[in-house]
Amino acid sequence: MQSNAALEYDYTVAKMFTYVTILFGFLGMLVGTILALQLAFPELNYLIGEYGTFSRLRPVHTNTVIFGFTVSGVFATWYYFAQRVLKVSMAESRFLMILGKAHFWVYFIGALIATITLVFGISAGKEYAQYEWWIDIVIVIIWLMWGVSIFGIIGIRREKVLYVSIWYYLACFLGIAMLYLFNNMSIPTYFMTDGLGSINHSVSMYAGTNDALVQWWYGHNAVAFGFTVPIVGMIYYFLPKESGQAIYSYKLSLLSFWGLMFVYLWAGSHHLLWSTVPDWMQTMGSAFSIVLILPSWGSAINMLLTMKGEWNQLAENPLIKFMVIASTFYMLSTIEGPIQAIKSVNAIAHFTDWIPGHVHDGVLGWVVFMTMAALFHMAPRMWKREIYSKKLMGIQFWMQTTAVVLYFTSMWVAGITQGMMWRAVDEYGNLVYSFIDTVTVLHPYYVIRGVSGVLYLTGFILFAYNMYKTITAGRELTEEPQFKTPMA
Amino acid sequence: MDIQDIQGYGMFFLTIFLTVILYWYIIYLYRSEKKGERDFEKYGRIALDDSIGTPPVEDKIASERENTKEQIK
Amino acid sequence: MFFHWLEKNPFYFAVLISIVISFAGLLEIVPNFAQAARPLTTETPKTVLELAGKNLYVKDNCIACHSQMIRPFKSETDRYGKYSLSGEYAYDRPFLWGSKRTGPDLHRVGNYRTTDWHENHMLNPPAIVPGSIMPAYKHMFTNLADIETAYAEAVTVKNAFFTPYGPEFKKTRAAWEAHRPKVLADAKKIADDMKSEDVKKAVANGQVPEIVAMIAYLNSLK
Repeated sequence: MQSNAALEYDYTVAKMFTYVTILFGFLGMLVGTILALQLAFPELNYLIGEYGTFSRLRPVHTNTVIFGFTVSGVFATWYYFAQRVLKVSMAESRFLMILGKAHFWVYFIGALIATITLVFGISAGKEYAQYEWWIDIVIVIIWLMWGVSIFGIIGIRREKVLYVSIWYYLACFLGIAMLYLFNNMSIPTYFMTDGLGSINHSVSMYAGTNDALVQWWYGHNAVAFGFTVPIVGMIYYFLPKESGQAIYSYKLSLLSFWGLMFVYLWAGSHHLLWSTVPDWMQTMGSAFSIVLILPSWGSAINMLLTMKGEWNQLAENPLIKFMVIASTFYMLSTIEGPIQAIKSVNAIAHFTDWIPGHVHDGVLGWVVFMTMAALFHMAPRMWKREIYSKKLMGIQFWMQTTAVVLYFTSMWVAGITQGMMWRAVDEYGNLVYSFIDTVTVLHPYYVIRGVSGVLYLTGFILFAYNMYKTITAGRELTEEPQFKTPMA
Repeated sequence: MDIQDIQGYGMFFLTIFLTVILYWYIIYLYRSEKKGERDFEKYGRIALDDSIGTPPVEDKIASERENTKEQIK
Repeated sequence: MFFHWLEKNPFYFAVLISIVISFAGLLEIVPNFAQAARPLTTETPKTVLELAGKNLYVKDNCIACHSQMIRPFKSETDRYGKYSLSGEYAYDRPFLWGSKRTGPDLHRVGNYRTTDWHENHMLNPPAIVPGSIMPAYKHMFTNLADIETAYAEAVTVKNAFFTPYGPEFKKTRAAWEAHRPKVLADAKKIADDMKSEDVKKAVANGQVPEIVAMIAYLNSLK
C-alpha cells in the first residue's frame, strides 16, 4: 500500500460541508433566538410582515437546524473520518471525488431553496416533514448520493473491519431513508386533476390517526437517527482520537448499537400518549422508552470511561471538555425523555414548554457541542493550521454551557407550572385558571430563555470566528498532530 | 384470529427472538475473546492509528489473498 | 461464525439493520391501518371553502401553538368539550393534532367562538384577550385564499381514497367552474357576519380573502 508515497487523505468535500455546517448553524440558531424572543415580546412578530410571525418561522428554525446544520455536520464528519478509519483516500477514486462534490452542490442549493419555500408557507404541514413533494424528491436524491458515496468508499477500503462509528453512520443513512420515504408519501393534487390549483400542493397518503402514527414514528426516529445515532458515531471516533485513549470497551459499543437499533423505533408512540391511537401502542411506547435508557447510557458511560485515568485532560484541553459535557447532556436528556414518556408524567408535561426544554438540552448540549468539537478537531488537520485561539474556545464553552442550563431550567419550571395550572381545580371541581392566565405567568421564563438564546448564539458566533481565523490566520503546522489538537 | 391477536403474537415472539439473538451475541463477543479466537478491543485502535501510512489493524487485501490461497490448497 | 462474517460484509450488515429497525413500524403501524381509518358515521368531509381554510392553517402553521386533540381528562373536557375520537379525524390529511399548546386547543373551537370573534381576534389578539402573545394575522384580510387548489384536493382525495364527495366533484376545469359559485356562496355567508367592508367587497367580486376561508374552517371544528 505504500506504492504511492504522496498519497494523502483528501478533505475537499469535508471542507465544503464544514463551511455550510457553520452557515446553517448560525442561521438556524439566529431564527431560534428570534422565536424565543417573540414569545417573550410579541411585538417582534412583525419584523418582516407575514413572513416573520412565530408560526411561519418555527419550521424554518427546526428544519434549518435538523436538515441544515446537523445533517451537513454529519456529512462533513463522514467525509473526514470515513477515509481515515477505512484507510483509503477519496483521491484514489475519481468517481467518489466527483460524486462527493456533486452531493455537496445538490445538497447546498436544495437546502437553500427548501428554506425559502418554508418562509413562503409552502408546507405539507407535518412537523419536521414540512417540505412539499417535489423537495422531498430532491432530498431523496441527495440521500441516495450519500448512500452511493458511503458504500463506494467502503467498497475500496483497506481496513477489513468496519469501525463502530461506521456502523452508526450506516444506520443513520438507512434509518432516515426508510423513515423519510414512508412519512412523506403524498399525492400532488395538480396531477390528479386536469392541472387545477397549485403545483406545490399535495395530500398525505395517510389520514387522521394513521397519519399521526406514521408521523411520530418518523418524528421520534428522525431524532433517533439524525440526532443520536450519527452523533454517537462521531464521539466514538473523535473522543478516542483527541484523547489518545482507545474506546473503554469496544464490545460494549457494539452491544449498545444493536440495543439502540432495536429499541428506538418502538418508542415513537410516546408522542401520542392519551391520544386516539390504540392503548397498547401507547403502553408499548412508554415501556420501550424506559428500556431505551439502557443502550443510551451504555454508550454514554462507555464514552466517559474512555477518559479513565486521563481526567487531567479535561482541565487542559477544551475540546475534551466539550465532548465530555456533550456526553453528560446526552445522559441527562436520555433519562429525561423516558421520564416524560411515563403516562402520568406525560399527562402534565405534554403540550407544555417542558418538551422544547427537553429537545434543547439534547440538541444544544449534545448535538451542537459534539459537532462543534468535531469541526474544531478537524480544522487543524484539514487546513494544516493551528487553532487560532484556545482562550476564545474557553469563553465560548462557558457561555454556551450557561445558556443550555438557563434554557432547560427555565423551561422545566415553565412547563410544569403550566401543566399544573391547566388542571388545577377549586374545592367545587371547577377550573381555577382561564387559559390566558397560564400564558401570562410564563413571561419571566420566556425572557430567561430569550437571554439563553442570545448567549448561545453569541457563543456560536465566537466559534465561527475562531474557525474563520484558524483557516485564514492560524499558525501553519508542518506535520499532522497525532492526538491532541494544537491550539494557540 | 383477528388482526390484534396476530399483532400480539407477532410482537411477543419477535421480541423473544431478538432478545435471544442479542444475548447470543453478547455471549459470542465475550466467549470468543476469552478463548482467544478474536480480540475485539484491538479494533478500538482503528480510530487512533488512522494515518494513511500506518498499516490497517486487519488488512483487507492481505486477508483476501490468504483466503484465495486456502481455496487453492 | 455468523457475527464475524456479518461485520465484514457491509451489504448484509445493512440488510440486518434495516430488518431490525423496520420491525417496530411493521408491527405497530401497518396492521392497524384499516381500523384506525374508519370515520364516525356522523362525520362529513370538509367543504371546499373549509379545505382552503385548512390549507391556510397549514400554511401559517397554526399547529406550532395550537393542538386539536382533547385528551380524556376532566380538566380538558371542562375546558374544551368532549374528548377527541379517532373517527373524527378520518378525513384529515394531514392530521393537525399539534404537539404544543402555547395557545388553547382548537378541536371544538367552532362550538364556542363566532365569526365575529375570530375576525376581531385575528386583527389584534391582545385587544380581545388581554395578555395574549399571539401575533395578529392582518395579511389574511388582504391575501386571497386558493380555493382552486382546495377543490383539486377534494377531487384527489375522492378519487384516491374514496372520501365521500358528491358526483359533481370531477377533475375537469369545467367541473371546477361549475362548483365555484357554491364556494362563493359559502364565503358570502361568512362575510355577511363580518364587519370588514373590504372583505365583503372582495367576496362580492368573486374573490375569497384568506380570513373568510380560515374562519369557515375554524367554525367547522366542532
